[in-house]
Amino acid sequence: MSDKSPRTEGALPPATLDDPHLLPSTRNPKRMEALAALAMLVGTAGFVAFIVAYWVNASNRWEALTLGIGMLGLGVGVIAWGKYLMPQGPFVEERHDFHSTDDERSAFNAAITGRGGLEVKRRKVLLGVFALGGGIMTLALLIPGVRSLGPKPAKSEDNQGPTESSLFTTNWKKGSKLVTVGGRPVMVDDLELGGVLTVFPQGFEGSSPDQVILLRLAQLGPNDPPYPIAPPGRTDWGVQGYVAYSKLCTHLGCPVGLYQQRTQQLVCPCHQSIFNVNAGAVPEFGPAPRPLPQLPITVDPTGQMRANGSFDQAVGPGFWERP
Amino acid sequence: MTTETPRRPALARLAAPAALVGAVAIFGLVAFSSGPASADTTTAPGASTGTVPGAQPGTVQQTPTAVTAVPSPTAAAAATSPANETGIYYTDLPNSFIAPGQALFAANCSSCHGAEANGKIGVGPNLQGLGAGTVDFWVSTGRMPLAALTVQATRKPPRFNRIQTLEIAAWVQSLTPGQGTKVPVVHTASADLEAGNTLFTLNCAACHTISGAGDALAEGAFAPSLHLATPTQVVEAIRSGPGNMPRFGPGNITNTEARDIAAYVTGVLQHPNNAGGAGLGGIGPVGEGFVGLLIGVGVLMLVCFWIGDRA
Amino acid sequence: MIDKSLNWLDDRLGVAKGGRTFLDKIFPDHWSFMLGEIALYSFVVLLGTGVFLTLYFVPSAHEIVYHGSYAPLRGQHVSEAYASTVSLSFDVRSGLLMRQAHHWAADIFLGAIAVHMARVFFTGAFRKPREFNWIVGVTMLILGIVNGFLGYSLPDDLVSGTGIRIAYSIIESIPLVGSYLGFFLFGGNYPGSGVIIPRFFILHVLIVPAILVGLLAAHLGLLVKQKHTQFPGKGKTERNVVGSPMFPTFMAKTTGFLFVSSAVIFLLGGFAQINPIWQFGQYEPYQISYAVQPDWYMGWLDGALRIMPSWEWVGWGHTIPLEVFLPAVIFPGLIFNILLVWPFIESIHTKDREYHNLLDRPRDRPKRTAAGAAMLTLLFAVFFASSTDVMANFFQLPLIDVLWFFRFFVPLAPIVAYFLTLKICQEMRAAEGIGKRKRALIVERSTEGEYTTVESPVRPGDVHEELEAIPVPTFIDTTDPELATAAGVRRVIR
Repeated sequence: MSDKSPRTEGALPPATLDDPHLLPSTRNPKRMEALAALAMLVGTAGFVAFIVAYWVNASNRWEALTLGIGMLGLGVGVIAWGKYLMPQGPFVEERHDFHSTDDERSAFNAAITGRGGLEVKRRKVLLGVFALGGGIMTLALLIPGVRSLGPKPAKSEDNQGPTESSLFTTNWKKGSKLVTVGGRPVMVDDLELGGVLTVFPQGFEGSSPDQVILLRLAQLGPNDPPYPIAPPGRTDWGVQGYVAYSKLCTHLGCPVGLYQQRTQQLVCPCHQSIFNVNAGAVPEFGPAPRPLPQLPITVDPTGQMRANGSFDQAVGPGFWERP
Repeated sequence: MTTETPRRPALARLAAPAALVGAVAIFGLVAFSSGPASADTTTAPGASTGTVPGAQPGTVQQTPTAVTAVPSPTAAAAATSPANETGIYYTDLPNSFIAPGQALFAANCSSCHGAEANGKIGVGPNLQGLGAGTVDFWVSTGRMPLAALTVQATRKPPRFNRIQTLEIAAWVQSLTPGQGTKVPVVHTASADLEAGNTLFTLNCAACHTISGAGDALAEGAFAPSLHLATPTQVVEAIRSGPGNMPRFGPGNITNTEARDIAAYVTGVLQHPNNAGGAGLGGIGPVGEGFVGLLIGVGVLMLVCFWIGDRA
Repeated sequence: MIDKSLNWLDDRLGVAKGGRTFLDKIFPDHWSFMLGEIALYSFVVLLGTGVFLTLYFVPSAHEIVYHGSYAPLRGQHVSEAYASTVSLSFDVRSGLLMRQAHHWAADIFLGAIAVHMARVFFTGAFRKPREFNWIVGVTMLILGIVNGFLGYSLPDDLVSGTGIRIAYSIIESIPLVGSYLGFFLFGGNYPGSGVIIPRFFILHVLIVPAILVGLLAAHLGLLVKQKHTQFPGKGKTERNVVGSPMFPTFMAKTTGFLFVSSAVIFLLGGFAQINPIWQFGQYEPYQISYAVQPDWYMGWLDGALRIMPSWEWVGWGHTIPLEVFLPAVIFPGLIFNILLVWPFIESIHTKDREYHNLLDRPRDRPKRTAAGAAMLTLLFAVFFASSTDVMANFFQLPLIDVLWFFRFFVPLAPIVAYFLTLKICQEMRAAEGIGKRKRALIVERSTEGEYTTVESPVRPGDVHEELEAIPVPTFIDTTDPELATAAGVRRVIR
């Protein structure tokens, strides 16, 4: 035993090998060693098998199985080594106060308040100007990071540039042709009673704010009395039993594609808001706050279905600027 | 450490956690695996887009006698029908079906729907004008005869065989000739799966879910699972709009499109490409969350239990 | 040779002294202290599989025509992000395995954080001096949730795209600045100018992981500096740590655990399908599937949105959509803020300014445990509320009834849980000897028929608990050749 190391002077004597703290915690270490070795061998075989599986382009299941067996084998082996064969102790370690002494703390505070405070007292103006400059600098550096990201939302319906994307208006105008997402024009005979179709204004197929759901609530001819839709004054917003509503849910903007033709309800698949299509898509249940905006529609002399105006309000979920 | 104490063999100590891990894993995978073997819908790029890979016309349709049950004169006419190019033709059922159909109807259906199939208030709706296809849908899926009055009838093993079902349908059709949905005969062999995919997603997924698993609707209704539907039943449902399902006429979904949807439902949705492993019910993150937490985190917590002390 | 190499290093870096101290560090051995490691190692797997994925994924919303090997998609117009993900799943060898392992690892990562956080909470490990570590941990939880959402939204599929639409509307609902923030982030009115996928990508693979790695380093660094807490027990005081040494024991166990965690993740990745985006199709803002839930760690927000009544405030030319703002912004904001400052809430309430290195049994702090149980109940309740439609379908119940049930269950169940837990804790403390016994009682019957009880024998692994804790030995004397062979040591170590 060497005592040339300064550590052994006055330190605890070295532990001996038969110290129970150092001995394996299993009665048959040789057996456990063999088992751990076996586990690791299985693991190694697993990794080799993984290489083979990858080489022959085997399916994911084989790759996962071999990789899993590999990892499991090695892992279990190493854990067994650590848990049953390595010194478990228990050993103890003292917690030393890591906080500084009172003297050290006062010295630290004093450096700040002393040397720093001295400078603050002497150079108030300089400090003030620096603070001002630093504040403006922070603002200046942050502004491009945020403002350059995207365009401003239009403040009102009037400030709409032709290409500016808007929260307030859609591309539906009086006379817009109703077309399917594939661009096929919708004729008045297309839907039967209980039918449903997603439509767009011609030229804007697939555009998110313009999505409209077209429903046929009654099979009425051109000379039949109009279908009575509940909101007053909206009878002529439908035609020959057709009604059209914005497909954007007023809750969070999910497409309200779920139509129950018997109960005449539109259900939003996201959070199960239920809209009564007979009453102007008024929400009967669920978190949606407002009815789906209705699109007035009509039929032109050729049988082509057209919008008879634009929406009377902003479509989709609520936002601060929405009146 | 030197006293003789009875102790468990070392093998058991190591094997127990390993066996536990293995058992939980196997249990989880068996419990969550999807039933039918998944067909491989991936083909090498450049292969024809139209064919249902690996499927013969007969295997995709699951009703064994859908085509052959119809006697030959109609079948011969169908072979040359121009409608055959769309993959669907609508057949008229032979007149010889009407009389036995009436007898079957009287014995099994008239108690709720009336002797003339014109309905009984509060019990069963008027069937006149609905057409043979509508009747075929409800009876061949086993929804009718109804086991008990409920909000919505569910699919169950059909009570009648194919011929009997068509006989009943023929009789109901004969009450209002020419009206309603006819029985379609659907050939899915040359369907456009990509079109079927697009159409299904746009028109059907909002109720039936993108995997066709079905889900609950308002007023106690629900969109049923599509995993047992035949191509004929898919087209019949599209055309007749059963229950709360909307009705899609030819002006909305053409015959070709209906055929494509039917091929997609029976060819792809019912044999999903679960290349990733067990399908976990096909309901998305709900099933995945269960497995990830119970099996993933759970098994690893058990391993912690093995490694550490239990103080 | 080891001596020479170590001297070489120490000449340049001075590592020997600190190194020895580090190798001597003591880790308490309780199993619940390893829960954080589940999170750590799933994070390692996330990084590894994540690097693999970045080599194949194309973060672009630009539309192309799909020509890959999945037939039902062929010919469709899809984004490059979607096409590259499908390609990765079918055309890249072991691509699907890596993708699924990555996604499972994310679910497990957040689940492990949740159980680890619960352990820290219920044992009071967040008290002085560990408040910083608690705050770092809660911040990592928040960032992990955000990164998970960003990650599964990258493939631009139908299900995750619906989530992005919802996220946009939630941002939009913020009063005063909502529409600005939404337009800035997305580059315009939804769906924006196509920048959201590349922005999510860079946030997901660089910005948030970089912050997470930094926070993780701080988390582990604080743990090393302040040392781990421990349960009270034989020889354990506020001024010491008792357990097994860092080297070689703890390192072996923890390395093994890394492998086992990876094994579980990769086995799930190959055998349990997750997020089969080829079945969902490309996201289009006018299409949707039913039964769409977010990943589990976002489920609590989805549930809150579902059960919220439709209160929207409209007045003076403005709208505040409270039915969105309250459950999706205020509610999580409140929860996270309460979590972040909890150590200070507790120390102010208990007026406790002492150091705490010994842990509490949860029953010894009934109010804290009851509060934690109430919080967990609330979060579980809104979590289950996100699958109302699936539940209604599975149990064949009317949808509206299930929704009404949750509207009452979510606010009431935590109150019930609080008082129930309080009572249980108080009763458990009143009962003597519960949980104290470490050894089972074996019932023995004598030949005369008399029953006696005897403590079960010590298991070999428990022996070391019975020993007196000693300091880590400076040197080990291995000169006794007989003992050297028995323990498997071949060399004499000085």
